[in-house]
Amino acid sequence: MATREVISTGNELAALAAVDAGCKFFGGYPLTPSSEVMHVISDLLPKKGGVAIQMEDEIAGICAVIGAAMVGQRALTATSGPGVSLKAENLGLAQMAEVPLVLVNVMRGGPSTGLPTRVSQGDILQAKNPSHGDYKSITLCAGSLAECYTETVRAFNLADRFMQPVIVLLDETIGHMHGKAEIPTIEDVEAGIVPRKKFDGPADEYFPYECEADEPATLNPMFEGYRYHFTGLHHDKNGFPTEEIETCRKLIQRLEDKVAMHEDELESYEEFMMDDAEVMIVAYGSVSLAAKESIRHLRKEGIKAGLFRPITIWPSPAKKIKEYTDKIEKVLVVELNIGQFHAEVQRASSRLDIDGLFKVNGRALSPHEIVSKVKEL
Amino acid sequence: MAASPMVNPGDQPVWVNTDNCKACDICVSVCPSGVLGMRYEKNSTLGAMISIDHPEACIGCQECELSCPDFAIFVADRKELKEAGVSFAKLTDDAKARQEKIVANNFMSLSEQGVK
Amino acid sequence: MAFNYDKYLRLEKMPTLWCWGCGDGVILKAFVRAIDKMGVAQDDVCVVSGIGCSGRFSSYVDFNTVHTTHGRTVAYATGIKLAAPDKLVVCVAGDGDALAIGGNHTIHGCRRNIDLTLIIINNFIYGLTNSQTSPTTPRGMWTVSQKAGNIDPTFNTCDLAIASGASFVARETMIEPKKLEKVLVKAMQHKGFSMMEVLSNCHINLGRKNKMMSAMANLEWIDSITTSKKKYDAMSEEERLNLLPTGILKEDTEADEYCEMYAEIQKVHQGQRAKITQDDFAKKI
Repeated sequence: MATREVISTGNELAALAAVDAGCKFFGGYPLTPSSEVMHVISDLLPKKGGVAIQMEDEIAGICAVIGAAMVGQRALTATSGPGVSLKAENLGLAQMAEVPLVLVNVMRGGPSTGLPTRVSQGDILQAKNPSHGDYKSITLCAGSLAECYTETVRAFNLADRFMQPVIVLLDETIGHMHGKAEIPTIEDVEAGIVPRKKFDGPADEYFPYECEADEPATLNPMFEGYRYHFTGLHHDKNGFPTEEIETCRKLIQRLEDKVAMHEDELESYEEFMMDDAEVMIVAYGSVSLAAKESIRHLRKEGIKAGLFRPITIWPSPAKKIKEYTDKIEKVLVVELNIGQFHAEVQRASSRLDIDGLFKVNGRALSPHEIVSKVKEL
Repeated sequence: MAASPMVNPGDQPVWVNTDNCKACDICVSVCPSGVLGMRYEKNSTLGAMISIDHPEACIGCQECELSCPDFAIFVADRKELKEAGVSFAKLTDDAKARQEKIVANNFMSLSEQGVK
Repeated sequence: MAFNYDKYLRLEKMPTLWCWGCGDGVILKAFVRAIDKMGVAQDDVCVVSGIGCSGRFSSYVDFNTVHTTHGRTVAYATGIKLAAPDKLVVCVAGDGDALAIGGNHTIHGCRRNIDLTLIIINNFIYGLTNSQTSPTTPRGMWTVSQKAGNIDPTFNTCDLAIASGASFVARETMIEPKKLEKVLVKAMQHKGFSMMEVLSNCHINLGRKNKMMSAMANLEWIDSITTSKKKYDAMSEEERLNLLPTGILKEDTEADEYCEMYAEIQKVHQGQRAKITQDDFAKKI
C-alpha cells in the first residue's frame, strides 16, 4: 500500500481521516483536549460541501450527528471524558436504533472536570458502557500518530458495517503530539470505503429492522422513498414501538450478537517482540510508545519483555490475551488509570495475579518507570 | 385496527367509523345543528358511542370532523355530494335549539334516557 | 369521499393510544391536512418528536419519522435539516420536552433561526408520566410532584421564542382546528425558525385533579385563558394577566436563515466569495 508522509498532530489527523473517509457532517462542542478536531474539520468539511456545526452543548452535538446519520451521512463528533458522560443517553439511542457514527474521545484526567489539559486513559470502562442497558461497544484505541488517522478511517467503515456508534480513543498526549506520520493515500482510503448496506427493492417490501439474528439493521437514508420510524423504544421490523415479548428479546439478543458473533472482523492488536517474551506488557495508546522504548532497554539488559497492544479495545482481545497469559507468568498492565484494562486482563486470563503499573496524576509514564517496574516483578 | 373507511357509505352528508370513536363528546359539542348525539353502548369506550341522529340537518361545516381526535367522523365533500343529488342543509333556529338541548343533556341523544 | 387521511396515516397503528378526547389527535389531523394543502411529497417530510404523549405523534404519520430522547427534538432536527436543507423538517414536542429538559435546544434553535417548524403541544402538565409539574402548569394547581399546590412560576412560551430570535411565532389552540390548520401552513411555509405553541387539553391528568374531569371542561378552560391578539393588544396590563393571545405574534420574513448562511460559509471555503465579516450584518451584537 502506498503511503504519504505528513507532519501533524493526532487531533488534526483524526479530522483529516474523517473527511477522507467520506464524513459529511460534524456536530460538536469545544472540550479540551479535543477541540482541535472541531477547529480543523470546521474548515475541511465546508470545502467539500459538508457541514460542521458547533452546537450549544455536548448533548446537542451528538444529537445533530445522529440526525445527520439518519439522513444517511457519515457523521463525526469529537469530545473528551466529560462530553462522553453528557452524550451517554443519546449514544444509547444510536445503539438501540442502530445509527452509525464515529465519536473521537481525546482522554484527559478525570473524573469530573479532573485535569483538563493533562493526559489519562481513564475512559476505558466508560467506552465499554457509556449508556445504560445491554449493547456491545466497539472501541478502537490509537497508539501512534498514524493510527489517529487509520483507526478513524476504520471506525467509519466499522460503524457502517455494524450500524452503531464506534468510539475512537485518543489521549491528550497523542492528540496534541506533533510529528511525522506515514498514512495511506487518499485514493487508497476512498477505495477502501465500505458504505452501509441499502435495500433497493420496492418500498412496501422494506423492513429496516428485519434481519438475520446476527446482522445489523439495513437503514436506508431518509428522503429516498423508504419511509420508516426511528425510536429509542423497543421496536418491531418497521421501527414502530412495541412491547411484544419475543420481539423485545430478539432485539436485545441481536444487538449483542451482531457484534459478538463477528469479533473476527473487529479484532486488532499489535504483538511487539512477543515471540519469545517472558514478560508480557499490556499497554495501549500513548503509553504503548513508552512501553516499546522500555522493552528495547530491557532487551539490552537481557530481559525478554514484549508488548501486547490492543488496538480494538472493545470487544477486548480476550482470547488472544489468554493464549499469552496461559504461558507467560509475568504479566504487567501499564495504563494511565487505576486499573481499568487490568481488570479485563484478569477476567480474560482467569488469573488474579496480574501486575499493574498505574499512573493517575495527569503525567505521562516514562520508559524508565516501566523498566523499573518490570525489574521488580 | 384499520382507520377510517373514508369512503361515503352511501351519499351521506356525514358518517362515522365506530371502530375509532372513543366517546369524548367533542364532535357533539361543536355541531351547530343538533345532528349528533351520544348513545349508550355497553361494549364501547366510556360505555357510549356517537350516533348521527339528524343527518338531514347537517350543514357541512366540518367542525365535527376537524374536532375529532380519532378519525371517527367524516363529512362529505360538498361537490361530490351535490353530484350525487344530495345537499347540505341550511342552519335553522329549530336545529340550533335542538343542539342546545343536546348540550344540556350532557351531549346524550335526546332519545336516550338518563344522564351519563 | 371525505379528505384522504389514510394516505398520511400508518393505518396499522390506529386507533391512537391517546386518551379519549385528547387534543393530540386534533392537532395530528390539522397537521396532516396542512401538509396536504402545501402539496409537499411525503418523502420530503421528516417529523421529529420528543418524549411524552405528543412524542407518539411521529409514529402515526407516514413520513420519515424520528422519535428522539426527551428534550432533544430540536437538536436532532438541526442535524437532519443541515444534512438535507431542502426538506421539510417539523418538530413536535410537549411543554415539558421543549421547555424543561429541552429548553436549551429550543432557545438555540430560535437563536439560529434555522428553517425548522417546532410545534409545542402545551397541555400544561407532564401527561404521559402522570401529572408532574411542567414549566407551564398554572400556579396553585395540584400536581403529583407538588400535591400541596404548584408554586412554580410559568414560562410564556411565545415570549421566550420571540426573545430567543425565532422569526415566526404563533399560538393557537385545538378548539379552533380550522384556524390551527391555516396557521400551521404558514408556520411550515415560513423560511426560518417557526415556533407554534398549540394549547391542548389533558383532562385525564391535569384536568381530573384540578376539577376539570371531562374533555369539554378542559376545552372551556383553554377558551377562558385565550383571546385573539387583536383584543389582547387593546387590553390593560391587569386585563392581560391571565390571558394568552392567539394568532401570529411575530412574522419576520427578512431574518437570515441558518442553512442559507451556512451555504455562504461553504462558498468561502470553496473560494467563491470573500470571508464573512462584521460588515455583512446590520445587527451584529
